[in-house]
Amino acid sequence: MSAPDFYFGVNVVFQHIHDHFGKATLIDYWQNLGRDYYHERNMRWQAGGIPTIADDWRDYFDREPNADVDVTTTDDAVTLDIHVCPAIHHLRQHNRDIVPYYCEHCDHVCGAQAQAAGFRFERTGGMGACQQRFVKISVTGGA
Amino acid sequence: MLGCQDFCGYYDWSFGYVRKHKDIDAVHKLWADISIAQQHYTDAGMTDGLRGLYDTWCGTAVDEHFDWSFTLDEAGNTLRWDMKQCPSKGFLIDNDLHSDEDYCDHCMGWIIPVADQIGAEVVAHEHNHAGQCWGHLRMKGQPSKAFEGHADDITADPLWQRGHIDRWENDVKLPVIPEASPANDAVDVIRHWFADVKAITVLGQGPGATDHWTAQHTTDSVIVTDATYATKDVYADSPCAIVIGDQSQVLAEVSERFHATPPDQRPLLMHTYLPGEAMLPFAQYNLPRPVPLLPILLREQLYEHIPHTPHPTAIVFALLLAAALNKPTIAAGLDWQEHLHDNTPAHKKHSVDSASPTTPPSTHSQACERLHIQRATARLRDRLQIHP
Repeated sequence: MSAPDFYFGVNVVFQHIHDHFGKATLIDYWQNLGRDYYHERNMRWQAGGIPTIADDWRDYFDREPNADVDVTTTDDAVTLDIHVCPAIHHLRQHNRDIVPYYCEHCDHVCGAQAQAAGFRFERTGGMGACQQRFVKISVTGGA
Repeated sequence: MLGCQDFCGYYDWSFGYVRKHKDIDAVHKLWADISIAQQHYTDAGMTDGLRGLYDTWCGTAVDEHFDWSFTLDEAGNTLRWDMKQCPSKGFLIDNDLHSDEDYCDHCMGWIIPVADQIGAEVVAHEHNHAGQCWGHLRMKGQPSKAFEGHADDITADPLWQRGHIDRWENDVKLPVIPEASPANDAVDVIRHWFADVKAITVLGQGPGATDHWTAQHTTDSVIVTDATYATKDVYADSPCAIVIGDQSQVLAEVSERFHATPPDQRPLLMHTYLPGEAMLPFAQYNLPRPVPLLPILLREQLYEHIPHTPHPTAIVFALLLAAALNKPTIAAGLDWQEHLHDNTPAHKKHSVDSASPTTPPSTHSQACERLHIQRATARLRDRLQIHP
């Protein structure tokens, strides 16, 4: 049920939590969502490691309308080259005001997911195109 | 990223987050703000009235794969939908998700504000929390043709008998059980029912339920499960409330006793409507649809539905309810494992959420029971006495 108008709802929920409860709560919401809502997915990532994470994201973006994403792996990381972010694409296509912190949700949701699975999350770029990496903590020695 | 494919799941989770962070009123405010996300409906409705809503909704129906009937009668000033299987609620049911109290209510939460902005109103709406609903919109101040009884009327579908019903008329949510309470919120209905109760007794079917200590300490307001209500095995008097287990096999007996009781002495029927369990056919047994129990437990943060993990038995849900009501409580006969011994009489095995004796209780676990009894104990502290 990949209905792109749901991106409108995502954008408004972020705005609502930000405006009513503040940025710190919005970040807490994102982090909890990554840890709790995606708990089962995180456990699969932890169990299966890099190939599982890569396959998961290929499957995920296959079901997101207009997504253009390359998923590649190395021994210690999964890299998502997001040429077209489906959410930003749809929001722009429909002239919606995109909250300026929209892309930060990936840092905190994916960051919490990555941490639960034994990885750390990195993002460069945003607002329509970016690169995201899930890097194995044990290899990098990171915390 | 947060995609649109699993939006409904984390949407429900988000409602739960806001409720836990603030309160249920904050969730209602969030729903009203969601109407901003539906600007395309508002724009279309401002331009073309009900026709605009109809055209926009048809596009959504394609995207979301609605299984529904949708009728616009412009001459009759009526826009009517009959949802056979809601993909949104269906996603939650299929994935065993129930983070917030009442996911279905969010639709009226955004539809009513959008309708109001374009000069329309919801004449009537019902949903059964099992993925089916219907709604009737009209432009305000003009007569509107009723569509009840039309060929696709979802309320004539046998599956409509599943779940529990919430109803709106003229943009207002109606009382859940008008004869019992003016409240339109299931949580308030339960609180109202127990408002004058000084102390509660929760009676399971373990050995302690019938011993001398329990007989001496049982209060006037007793909560039992469906099996005890049906068989009177450990309590023959009139309980004030029943928690009907998620796999009840005694609905016929419950119905027989319920209807043999004068209306003013009947107990409040409650049920968890857990998404991972089969939906019980209450109407088939001429039983009123029980009041949902999860909302009050979620609101009081005594229960959290974690997908694909064990959940409490009916009697422990009853104990959690007593804790949610914050009343002095006596609990006896809670040890559910006692009922699983091979030599346990069949009618007593039904007490484990009325589970079939041949069905392993995979939906329950001792750890889950212990955790939730501890939660009730932590809430009530010295106002709870548990007798084995």
